[in-house]
Amino acid sequence: MSQTIIKDRIPENELLMGGHLACPGCGGALAMRLVLKELGPKTIVVLPACCWSIIAGPYPQSSLKVPLYHTAFETGAAVASGIRAALDIQGQHDTNVIVWAGDGGTFDIGLQALSGAAERNEDFIYCCYDNEAYMNTGIQRSSATPWGAWTTTTPSKHPQATDKKDILAIMAAHRIPYAATASVSYPVDLVDKVKKAMSIRGTRFLHILAPCPPGWKFEDERAIDMGRMAVQSRVFPLVEVEHGTDWRFTMDPEHVPVQDYIRAQGRFRHLTDEQIGHISDAVDYRYEHLRDLAERSQAKV
Amino acid sequence: MSEQNFNTVPLHTPPLSVSSSSTEQNITGSWKYIQPAYHDRVAPCIAGCPTGVDIEGYMSLLRDGELSAAMELLQCENPMPAITGRVCNHPCESRCNRANYDGAVAIHAVERVLGDMILEEPLPHWTMRKHDERIAVIGSGPAGLACAYHLTRLGYNVEVFEKEEELGGMLRLGIPGYRLPREVLDSQIARYKAMGIIFHTGMRAGTDIGWPRLTTEFSAVFIASGAHVSRLLDLEGDCSRQSLRSGLDFLREVNAGGRPDIGKHALVIGGGNTAMDCARTALRLGAEVTVVYRRTRAEMPAIDEEIEDAAREGVKFEFLASPEKLSGTGGRLQLACTRMELGEPDAQGRRRPVPAGGEPLLLEADTIISAIGEDTGLHDLQAELADAKLAMNTWGCEKLARVFLGGDVAGDERTVASALGAGKRCAIYIDRQLRQQHGEDIPEERLEAIRIGGSESLSMARWTNSDPIMRVSPQNDVVQPADINTAYFPREPRHNDRHAALLKSFEESNTGITTRDALAEAARCYECGVCNECELCRIYCGEAAIQLDPGSGRFVIDLDHCKGCGVCTAECPRGALVMERLANMD
Repeated sequence: MSQTIIKDRIPENELLMGGHLACPGCGGALAMRLVLKELGPKTIVVLPACCWSIIAGPYPQSSLKVPLYHTAFETGAAVASGIRAALDIQGQHDTNVIVWAGDGGTFDIGLQALSGAAERNEDFIYCCYDNEAYMNTGIQRSSATPWGAWTTTTPSKHPQATDKKDILAIMAAHRIPYAATASVSYPVDLVDKVKKAMSIRGTRFLHILAPCPPGWKFEDERAIDMGRMAVQSRVFPLVEVEHGTDWRFTMDPEHVPVQDYIRAQGRFRHLTDEQIGHISDAVDYRYEHLRDLAERSQAKV
Repeated sequence: MSEQNFNTVPLHTPPLSVSSSSTEQNITGSWKYIQPAYHDRVAPCIAGCPTGVDIEGYMSLLRDGELSAAMELLQCENPMPAITGRVCNHPCESRCNRANYDGAVAIHAVERVLGDMILEEPLPHWTMRKHDERIAVIGSGPAGLACAYHLTRLGYNVEVFEKEEELGGMLRLGIPGYRLPREVLDSQIARYKAMGIIFHTGMRAGTDIGWPRLTTEFSAVFIASGAHVSRLLDLEGDCSRQSLRSGLDFLREVNAGGRPDIGKHALVIGGGNTAMDCARTALRLGAEVTVVYRRTRAEMPAIDEEIEDAAREGVKFEFLASPEKLSGTGGRLQLACTRMELGEPDAQGRRRPVPAGGEPLLLEADTIISAIGEDTGLHDLQAELADAKLAMNTWGCEKLARVFLGGDVAGDERTVASALGAGKRCAIYIDRQLRQQHGEDIPEERLEAIRIGGSESLSMARWTNSDPIMRVSPQNDVVQPADINTAYFPREPRHNDRHAALLKSFEESNTGITTRDALAEAARCYECGVCNECELCRIYCGEAAIQLDPGSGRFVIDLDHCKGCGVCTAECPRGALVMERLANMD
């Protein structure tokens, strides 16, 4: 998108305050700021353990101008279900309830609660900001860590041996009304998806890729560039799916080779060109599959 | 905690810990060792423009739909955009940071469209005649006209002395009508007259009006007499024939409306713009034309487009051929040329042609036009001025000199753009000198501060403090391609000039681009180095540390909370932000 149009599409709301404890260049902090811009002040944030438990500030501080509940790791979706029910009893239907969970609290530890809430089609927006490992405890691998990546628990000699879980497909399989991927590097696409999610009732799921300079090992100033390359290389395509069946690409930016994305990050430094070739093949395969889904959805309309 | 104590907790305290302050009290800005700063810089096009036109500035105004502000900014620096839009060699475009991405912005075409619009508009209400001083300008070529224009806008009374009967100098005598239609030149000159510039034609300085009179009646004299003496071709044989013509005289005759009979075959000797103009003019008179040049295409000093247009129209080229001997039988001329090859580079870096040996090349023609360059006659001028005991001033440094020199005669590059830049430069020097005579103190540094990107061109907007582009802090470093974030510029091919199929006609051959395409071209401009408030820095700041200051309308960085990640600088599409090392880190 041309740079001159972007500012008109990003709301003015400023609900994140400075002095928070995110690392310089944190994609997760920016993701929260952008999502809250669209959600506005009538929002309650439910926060299972994740980087943001630190970013929100030490007691008695808060870095948000909206209420934020710190909850246990596995309970994000369950607590949000309860808060939603309480608000509904009070007649406060116009207050947004969101869960703000990392990949650990979503892909691993919080998956059961999320699955249960999605089954009941609880009325909240679940945002997973995905930095692809347990970053705040010291970069331990999660089931969101991509194949081949270094973490402190998957050192270069034994890098991540499993593929990243396809969380979007898992959520789509629950046939919730709305699920989408988004990126801080495409802010208009991100706020548009929040806006669309707000217009829908039921469980809505946003999977937001949040580049992490210390965890992925790249220069702080390249955070946006890294998110952009993830989308451009099709490692992280920007899509949305309604009712688990109607898939659609929301962005189709200029293509860059997977190699460019992988080679820009220290966590993949040990990979050989051949291994990157395998990653590239897998990316192409999944992208083709998504395209089939999108084309089939298009044909139905 | 006993049950007793628990009950003493006040009732309004909630049963869980609640935050009572914000993180804003944490000075997380102390983590950083580098910090961002808005430093508007100079776009390479402007640094490359000998006229010193604020190209990025007017492109930005055009993008915002501020057409009249764009026209005003263009006219502030360039007295004749409709003319430069047609005949300039546009070094701005070869410097354009977009050149290696999807093609340089077609700056010349946008300038031409804007220039034509300006000619349609009534003359703006500029404040003129605020000083009593009269200034004489010698020569009405581009340098003289530029100096007269700028001095008039600065408030002086200017009189121009032209030795020919018609105004325009090289613009009229040297540049053919198919490149610069006479109507455009005439309406531009009509505007200068309307501004109050007084023109005296048929007046040669030094003879029709003496130097002593010029320097006593006028507070300053600007000499821009140009380079109008055709250099002679040194050939063996009889060179006095009618059929061996000087390029400049030939152009002068045709441009004045003459249509000489030059026969079926014409040879043009030389590789510069005069040679191209002669070749295309001869073609239009019905001749088959061959250009003979000592070096190769790569070394030709002519504007690239002119060479391409000449070739497209059917001009043939004979490279690496140096004319040696002229002979003639029965009306036909024979030119013997030595075959050359390229040797070592000369002082200007162009490879010098050296004889290659072998058989000479024999060419036949009805007419031979020699266009191997023009001299200035500076020597004679210097002698004249020395007789009149006048000191000359080319750089505005000598406090007492009344005579200023600029343009071709002063050794500036032989282009319209350089002449316009020289005219502006001398106008500023004269303004400074005259104001200093009135007791104003204008230090040398002030001249340094208005130099654009460290080049020789000066900014009139900066000199008159009338720059409409709100710059935070103009820095004179030039934006490099690596400073541009191309992610924000979708590839979009350049809009190219259209050419009329008017071969052998003296009508304008390049028809330019449409107004609509010109606006689309302006939108392609990266606007290098100057913040245009796209707000990407603010949108991407994860610390919410960049906010708009409603008072100044500018962005301010909350350095107490900026952690120095550099995302704002990396994402700035145009290099208007830089990361600076914190002073206390050194």
